[in-house]
Amino acid sequence: MITLKNIRKSYFVGERELPILKGIDLEIKHGEFVILMGVSGSGKTTLMNIIGLLDKQTEGQFYFMDTSVEGLDDEALAGFRNRHIGFVFQQFFLLPYLNAIENVLIPMVYSEKEIKHPRDKARHLLDRFGLLERIYNRPSQLSGGEQQRVAIARALINDPDLILADEPTGALDSKTGNEIMELFRMLNEDGKTVMVVTHDPKLASYGRRLIRIEDGTISEDITT
Amino acid sequence: MGLSQKISQLREFLEETLKILYYYRSRVVFSFSGVALGILSICVIVTTIDGANKKAYEIFEALGPDSIMIFSGSERQRTARERVNTLTVSDADLLQRIGGIYDVLKVFQVRGVNMKYRDRKWQTQVVGGTENYFTSFKWALQSGSYFSREAYDNAEAECVIGAKVSEELFKGENAIGKVIQIGQLPTKVAGVLEERGGSVGGPNMDDRVIMPLTTVMSRLSNEKRFLSMIRLKTNRDVDATIEDVKMVLRNNHGIPEGSEDNFMTRSSKDILQFVSVISGSLFLFLGTASIVALVVSGFVLANLFYLTIQERKKDIGIRRAYGATRKGILLSFLFESVFITILGGIAGVLLSIALEGTFEKLFDIPMEFSFKVVIFALVFSFLTGVLSGLKPALKASRIEPIEAIRG
Repeated sequence: MITLKNIRKSYFVGERELPILKGIDLEIKHGEFVILMGVSGSGKTTLMNIIGLLDKQTEGQFYFMDTSVEGLDDEALAGFRNRHIGFVFQQFFLLPYLNAIENVLIPMVYSEKEIKHPRDKARHLLDRFGLLERIYNRPSQLSGGEQQRVAIARALINDPDLILADEPTGALDSKTGNEIMELFRMLNEDGKTVMVVTHDPKLASYGRRLIRIEDGTISEDITT
Repeated sequence: MGLSQKISQLREFLEETLKILYYYRSRVVFSFSGVALGILSICVIVTTIDGANKKAYEIFEALGPDSIMIFSGSERQRTARERVNTLTVSDADLLQRIGGIYDVLKVFQVRGVNMKYRDRKWQTQVVGGTENYFTSFKWALQSGSYFSREAYDNAEAECVIGAKVSEELFKGENAIGKVIQIGQLPTKVAGVLEERGGSVGGPNMDDRVIMPLTTVMSRLSNEKRFLSMIRLKTNRDVDATIEDVKMVLRNNHGIPEGSEDNFMTRSSKDILQFVSVISGSLFLFLGTASIVALVVSGFVLANLFYLTIQERKKDIGIRRAYGATRKGILLSFLFESVFITILGGIAGVLLSIALEGTFEKLFDIPMEFSFKVVIFALVFSFLTGVLSGLKPALKASRIEPIEAIRG
């Protein structure tokens, strides 16, 4: 599903080149559950941004769903993200002026895919995550764990091929964090490809594949 | 993609917009009221100018485009009370001989005359006119008749009263054939005139009593020579006739070369000109005020909008991550701003409709509401929304999702 060949990414500070990713080769197949682990500054977030089509590599080839994303314009990239990727973030990023179900429906507004009865679908997703009582609550009325589950429902509304989660447990206590990780495991068992980016070694056991990134290169890639 | 999908997307989008506006309501209220006030003043200008023009044309029509009025007193004696009667009956006779003139109306006016019917009293002006007074002014009767030829020839005490006078003295009673006391003179009421309403900023046309010129001059004021006004109708060019009139009158009054006239001429054209000067200054004054109001509210809108972009960075980042394009962000922010200003515009229009009556009373100028005003207002508020929303919306659309999400 995703193929990266010799991906490099550098930032330029004035004249100086700051290499973040130094040649990443990676392939991720349908149905995998990948934990991408690395300390802060290792380049894991940059790698996730590239995989999530939010950032572009400086060098190397990147194929998403067997399509080279090189040269795609803003509109095409936005469409790609909308169809294929569901994002989950550490800070949840729910919109404060919308209630739970409306937050779940945001990707639908930008979708070109036909979704039948989007509201029913959103309600069904929230119900599945135990939030049926909460669908009309604003984010400020929800606990951290509840907010993250709303965010996951939002990531799923467009039936994406890939769930990309950046430190999804980072703002939660460990018990709630474990619940969230269980949720990802459940989604993976249903056939979703899931990639969780984290610095937390305790989460390693949830995935079926562990990729460790150190100083811009992959130092370990274990499939269990 | 199906139509139902589009519709439900649009519905979601509109609902979201409303919620955003509610969430940032303090910003919305400021911008909204600014635009509403600006549009209100634009509406007032346009409707009053239209109203004034309509009124002017009505007067123009009523006077007839071919009429010339000559008043006693020079241009410098502005108020009617200041004027000394300088026109004479012999002037009128001379003017009659100018080629093209087919109607001459002689008027002698007496102000502040006390009149009485039983125990009801009223004070108003008495206008002594020749028989052609009513046809000349195209003034129809409500009831009764105009004063008769015999009454004119014999200087009989007969009168025709304005609607206002009839209201004050008779309070709805039938006035025809009744005798009222005008000054010391018991006078028979022959007819009641139709209501004409106030003129632009001037006195009430209906508050007057019209009597034969002969009666007023000989029995009410003992005046044999002078007149207050002469009105002519010509079938020649009005301006050329006025030149002739001036020459004849200066001659007859013995005014030396270089001295100013001791009379004033007015044609219907002057009235139109006067109104256009008034509406021009009205336009300048109110126009400036409303443009300032709109510009200020546009700036307020732009600034508040600009500030909230920072606050909404994450909002934008999340939408971009989930598939919103730059163009989509740009359009949704522009839509928000236009939505506010259009709402403000509609409020301004409604407000001006609601205040129409008050303004009319205040300025004594009828307002003419038309579809044009609504279009005008909506176009202006739309432009304000686009212009003030453009910069913030561009800024919003340039926010990169990763920089927004990084926090």
